[in-house]
Amino acid sequence: MSEENVLFAKQSDTPPAEEIPAESQSDKYLICVSDSLLYGIDAEQVVEIITDHTITYLPRVPHYVRGIINLRGQLIPIIDMRLRLGKMPEDEHCIMVVNVENNVVGLLVDGVERMADIPRDSILPMPTQNPQKLISGMCSLPEGATMLVLDCSLLLHG
Amino acid sequence: MGSGNDSILDMYLYETNTLLEQLDGILLAAEQADTFSQDSVNEIFRIMHTIKGSSAMMEFPSLMTVAHRIEDLFFIIREKGIDVVPETLRPELFDMLFQAVDFFRGEIEKVENGQPLSDSIDSIVDKINSLIDKIQGGGAPAAAEKPASGGGEAPESAAPAAADPSYPFGIQVFFDEGSGMENLRAFMLLNGVKDYCADYLSVPENVENDPTTSEIIADQGFFVWFHTAQERDSAIPAVHAAGSVSSFQSVDAKAEEAPAQPAAAAEAPAAGAPAPAPAPAPAGGAPAPAPTPAPAAKQPAAAKESLISVSLTKLDQLMAVVSEIVITESMVTASPDLKGLRLDNFNKSARELRKLTDDLQDVSMSLRMVPVSSTFQKMNRIVRDMSKKLNKRAKLTLIGENTEVDKTIVDGISDPIMHIVRNSMDHGLEETEAERIAAGKDPVGEIILSARHTGSEVIIEIKDDGKGADCQAVLNKAIRQGLADPDQEYSQKEILNFLMMPGFSTNTEVTEFSGRGVGMDVVKKNVGEVGGTVTITSEWGKGMTTTLKIPLTMAIMDGMEVSVGGSIFTIPINNIRSSVKVSDAEVIHDPARGEMVKFLDSFYPIIRAKDVFQMEQGCDNIEEGILMWVEAGERSYCLFVDELMGEQQIVVKPMPAYVNSFNIKNYGITGCSILGDGSISIILDIANLYNAAQDAF
Repeated sequence: MSEENVLFAKQSDTPPAEEIPAESQSDKYLICVSDSLLYGIDAEQVVEIITDHTITYLPRVPHYVRGIINLRGQLIPIIDMRLRLGKMPEDEHCIMVVNVENNVVGLLVDGVERMADIPRDSILPMPTQNPQKLISGMCSLPEGATMLVLDCSLLLHG
Repeated sequence: MGSGNDSILDMYLYETNTLLEQLDGILLAAEQADTFSQDSVNEIFRIMHTIKGSSAMMEFPSLMTVAHRIEDLFFIIREKGIDVVPETLRPELFDMLFQAVDFFRGEIEKVENGQPLSDSIDSIVDKINSLIDKIQGGGAPAAAEKPASGGGEAPESAAPAAADPSYPFGIQVFFDEGSGMENLRAFMLLNGVKDYCADYLSVPENVENDPTTSEIIADQGFFVWFHTAQERDSAIPAVHAAGSVSSFQSVDAKAEEAPAQPAAAAEAPAAGAPAPAPAPAPAGGAPAPAPTPAPAAKQPAAAKESLISVSLTKLDQLMAVVSEIVITESMVTASPDLKGLRLDNFNKSARELRKLTDDLQDVSMSLRMVPVSSTFQKMNRIVRDMSKKLNKRAKLTLIGENTEVDKTIVDGISDPIMHIVRNSMDHGLEETEAERIAAGKDPVGEIILSARHTGSEVIIEIKDDGKGADCQAVLNKAIRQGLADPDQEYSQKEILNFLMMPGFSTNTEVTEFSGRGVGMDVVKKNVGEVGGTVTITSEWGKGMTTTLKIPLTMAIMDGMEVSVGGSIFTIPINNIRSSVKVSDAEVIHDPARGEMVKFLDSFYPIIRAKDVFQMEQGCDNIEEGILMWVEAGERSYCLFVDELMGEQQIVVKPMPAYVNSFNIKNYGITGCSILGDGSISIILDIANLYNAAQDAF
């Protein structure tokens, strides 16, 4: 389909040439809140959002791994974003299940805001060296807030 | 390569490997008897023939050539009987055949790994040729050069077969136009025909060696001539089964007086017999095969009907689904919503369902079970080779080779058993027969390989009647290696355990087979990976027994649920000796290692799960909780937990990869399982838990 459209566009020359690349250069992000900061996660990686799951404590893992949950027979480790980013833990939460390089993990966040289309060129590098090295960039949202782009593979392996 | 080709290659590899295993078995039996029975000659002939044919199709010329030469050799033996090989030549014959099997194995391995095949087959082909020459004696050395594919009495005759009046009934086959390699297709067709009727002539001959025949076949068709019309009819299914055949028809040479050219024969059907043109496809070999098919041909046909090969991943999938059903079933029948309700009918149906799911679980589990015989049979070969090399006579006795074990476990124990058998051959058995006789033993050493079931475990024993382990020598060596403390007293059991330490080998010299000090520790590791344990017992002068205890399956097991501070842990039932309540007074304290308790005249350390797992909640008072007396391999200790919750059959699930990356396996956590109410319990590995606790103190 898309190939046909491109061919068609070339022949008719009607749509402005910039529009197609502009479209392909924006990514969808799911914006979530943790400790009143906004984090954006590549929507491609998000599997689902769940609440109310009992977390089974797992001994001998780093403190930010809160344990595992049973999601319809699948066992999923849960990473507490607050603890991972060095904040104090809190009780109210929801879990974003993400699939990073075939590792399915749950991220414990305070809440999920909305989806946002972010043009790629509006994402700027971090001005300071983040000690946790989990943030790969940042950008301003239309309403004025700032979103930090969370790099999930760094979250797992960093 | 497309996926189609891959699956053909898979089939080829599977088939060839199976054939080679079969061949190995036949050869070992034959060598023992120092002769070939008519059946085994036929069987070897058939195996070589199949390998030749399929290798030609897959375009592995080296494999094809060697198989072809051996086929030639056995063709002679089949025709003239085994007596044609004089006694003096037989060892050479067997050696050559074993060498050939190794060659095939090596090449097949290369194919599996995608490596290029070796071209240097001259030495082995020369060997076969010289053997053929010797067998033929001065009689007809040229016969060594004759291709066997012709199969008939006069393969050298250049005249068209139709000219031979004793083969008047023919089939003319045309292949799909432009299909290419007509000669090889014709060759494949001949292979098929041979299963139904071995007595025929083909025109052109030499199809598998002479690519120029392609053109003739494409042009004039390919002819196969038979003695009788019956034989011809019986071969028609084979022609059907062959690939790329566009059309074929029966031709009758009698109609024409000895046609001089195949082309002339092609015209024959017009005037000839009422032969059926492309007959209805007798798929599945429905029409009765020839009245006298080669007996060997029957065997695979029968085997095909009762066995199918299924990929292991499908079985794994089935296992996973069945596991989920087992869990879901208990979630439904033990649902908290049903509490306090009187549901007679429901309970009855639930029991029925329970029984069925149990059956389902058993059946799906049994699908993965394979007998250990294939692994055991391989040892025959190792004992044979090593007894030749080391010049020690030895026999291998197999007991209980039909014992069935989970497929993954069979794969896991194959190498360990091989190591142990090699060890037994190399250092177990006495160096010379004189030594054995002096010790009052049979000069021929014996290695007994046995397998048996005990409840949920399989016990595999490798026993030799050699000189056994010299405990003093082992201890001295262990001290030299720095593995043992010279000032400490060791029990015999402990000393034998040094044999399984990494880097330990009593053999002072490194031989081809053992002595590098890798071996027993690898055995221990491999067996440990499939959840088993290794123990060695030995009596100086009487031999050595190595025992592998392996769980039947790793997927589903019986476990005891215990709780510690709100978390649920599962201890495998196999590891539990008993559970005990103790009072404070019974606990013995020592300054360095904490707590111990005494049962039955032995002291056992107490390990508190709460401390090992650094948990915040849980019992601290030894009188409030309970001690689980557990045992794994050589370790025996008491695990202190809060509460005993009951026994349950659990489905083992591996921990998510992300969690495993934190090395929790070393802390005694092997996996987890989902309980009936959907909560998760953590499965403990008793041996590693002990090690973790030791490291912590």
